[in-house]
Amino acid sequence: MTADGYFGRFGGFYVPEVLVFALKELQAGYRRFSQDSDFKDDLHNLLCTYAGRPTPLYFAKRLTDVVGGASIYLKREDLAHTGSHKINNALGQALLAKRMGKSRVIAETGAGQHGVATATACALLGLDCEVYMGETDVERQKLNCYRMNLLGAKVNVVRSGSRTLKDSINEAMRDYASTSDHTHYLIGSVVGPHPYPTMVRDFQSVIGAEAKEQTLAQTGRLPDALVACVGGGSNSIGLFHPFAEDKEVQMFGAEAAGEGIETGRHSASVVAGREGVLHGSRTLILQDDDGQISETASVAAGLDYPAVGPEHAFLSGIGRAKYSAVTDREAVSAFHQLSEAEGIIPALESAHAMHLATIVARDLGSEKALVVCLSGRGDKDVDQIARLEGML
Amino acid sequence: MSLIGATFGALKSSGEGAYIPYVCCGDRGTEFTVKLVRTLAKAGADIVELGLPFSDPLADGPTIQAAMVRALSSGFTTQSLFDTISRIRDDGIGKPIVVMTYYNPVVRMGVDAFCEKLSKVGGDAVLTVDLPIEESRQLDDAAGDNGLDVIRLVAPTTSDARAREIMGQATGFVYAVSISGVTGAKDTLPDTAVSLLGRLSRISSVPVALGFGISNQGQVRDAISAGASGVVEGSALINMYSQSSQDEESVLDLIEKHSRGIKSATRFISDEETQKERL
Ligand SMILES: Cc1ncc(COP(=O)(O)O)c(C=O)c1O
Repeated sequence: MTADGYFGRFGGFYVPEVLVFALKELQAGYRRFSQDSDFKDDLHNLLCTYAGRPTPLYFAKRLTDVVGGASIYLKREDLAHTGSHKINNALGQALLAKRMGKSRVIAETGAGQHGVATATACALLGLDCEVYMGETDVERQKLNCYRMNLLGAKVNVVRSGSRTLKDSINEAMRDYASTSDHTHYLIGSVVGPHPYPTMVRDFQSVIGAEAKEQTLAQTGRLPDALVACVGGGSNSIGLFHPFAEDKEVQMFGAEAAGEGIETGRHSASVVAGREGVLHGSRTLILQDDDGQISETASVAAGLDYPAVGPEHAFLSGIGRAKYSAVTDREAVSAFHQLSEAEGIIPALESAHAMHLATIVARDLGSEKALVVCLSGRGDKDVDQIARLEGML
Repeated sequence: MSLIGATFGALKSSGEGAYIPYVCCGDRGTEFTVKLVRTLAKAGADIVELGLPFSDPLADGPTIQAAMVRALSSGFTTQSLFDTISRIRDDGIGKPIVVMTYYNPVVRMGVDAFCEKLSKVGGDAVLTVDLPIEESRQLDDAAGDNGLDVIRLVAPTTSDARAREIMGQATGFVYAVSISGVTGAKDTLPDTAVSLLGRLSRISSVPVALGFGISNQGQVRDAISAGASGVVEGSALINMYSQSSQDEESVLDLIEKHSRGIKSATRFISDEETQKERL
């Protein structure tokens, strides 16, 4: 990392003047509390006693046998409270908001997992919560909408733009511009202006830190490769970051190829994006020749975003991590494969990582081992898959 | 001195504030944009802010968002902006033009290429909403090389120290945002605007134009007497044509009448001073 908030030339602080004060306050707040042992103890305690950490590292023997290659280990974020890795960041930021004296929290959500995690953290800490969710996403993730209501949060349906995740971020930023004196904007991935990409990475790094200890304990050495899906890029950076200095550990990110890169209906911003500025960061973005942001597509609502966290743009640029795109069809087939081979129904987002993991496992060969971040459980997607396959 | 600097200088000596209408370029087609700018110039606009639409305008409220969506879905491109400015200049309208946009369309084209082109077609300044001073080096250099001003924003939450820094780097004028929030027409001037204008006038003598929420003459008089050197009106103008079912000619007539009123309210300084003299 170069200057504060930069990863090489990516990242930064591209925000309207109305947001500068609030974001500088957040930078200072985060700097202070990330070094405060009381804060760290409180968060650690919540993660262990409330959110179910550490999550297991599981050797998927049957899947490994079916695939035929490196041993596949699953980092079971699906077993964390609320069913995905999103809770790690939600608890961290909600606790920070509380320490900073904020009484209200807002969030954007795509799949609804981050919205549910935020609503949960706010219920736990007694904070008011409002979640922005695109109309398109509300339709495909109805159950998560209702879960947020059960948790006492208000869901604001976003009808502007493409009515998906990027538009929910726009709406949340507009809200934040007029409410930041008492409101914290709890961004759900490693995107946005400084300090978010750094702060969210730090809160998610618990994934990789645990995985490192667990692989060492179970296999006596570091894994040969790490695999994770990349929407904004928080579960992947959380897994990758603690291995940053372990040069022998390869990193692979699975983006959403949707209906196929060539169709233009996808969300693969590292694979097919170009440099630009969106939502506060300089990063890789799916956009047209005039710099207008493209509409994206993916069977997985949580990957349906036209940009990527700036640190991924950096890691890709220096070749430290490799990114490839997985189609809807491949992800759905991996969804079935894991369900049948291991009795684990993955989130559709995580199914993208599972598909890429089978390819990496074969490339590595049988003496090697890889860790896949199973970022969430698939209950939220069962209804969608059943409909897709004509079962409902 | 830039044309914008000279414009504020002349207005100051005649005891007026600047009337700066915002026009979303390409909304209702570029033909309409040219007609609208002509109408506004006739009504007394001193500077024109021409919006280059962006797909994700996170500092804008529903009115300008909708205008941008309309423009983009009718096939508007960055080239259309330059063509429109050329046509405005060909029409003999010489008022300073500030292009207001978000940073990504500028980055996509190339910051240098964008400034060079804008200068060539007759633009005077650029304002990128999501580019705070921390990140604006590249644009400042490119704009400077091409003789363009960079218009910067200050907000009610901007501290005095930061405002001093922003105003110290100002070229042309500084755009003061009246509220902590997004664009959109309002009926009265919020207290935050009055106190911001007061603070800014104590910090620097750089001209300050107040925008966000301006829609009527009362607000304009309040802004001018609180220290503004000009006002920006955007959403209210867009509402006048987008919510009207009348034909284009009558709508433009109504806008002309309205804008003459706003312009006359900027002459409040001189009125006030003449009245004082009479007393
Ligand atoms: C289960 C799951 N995995 C992954 C993601 C993608 O986000 P990120 O790339 O930030 O991990 C989401 C987002 O909603 C998700 O719900």
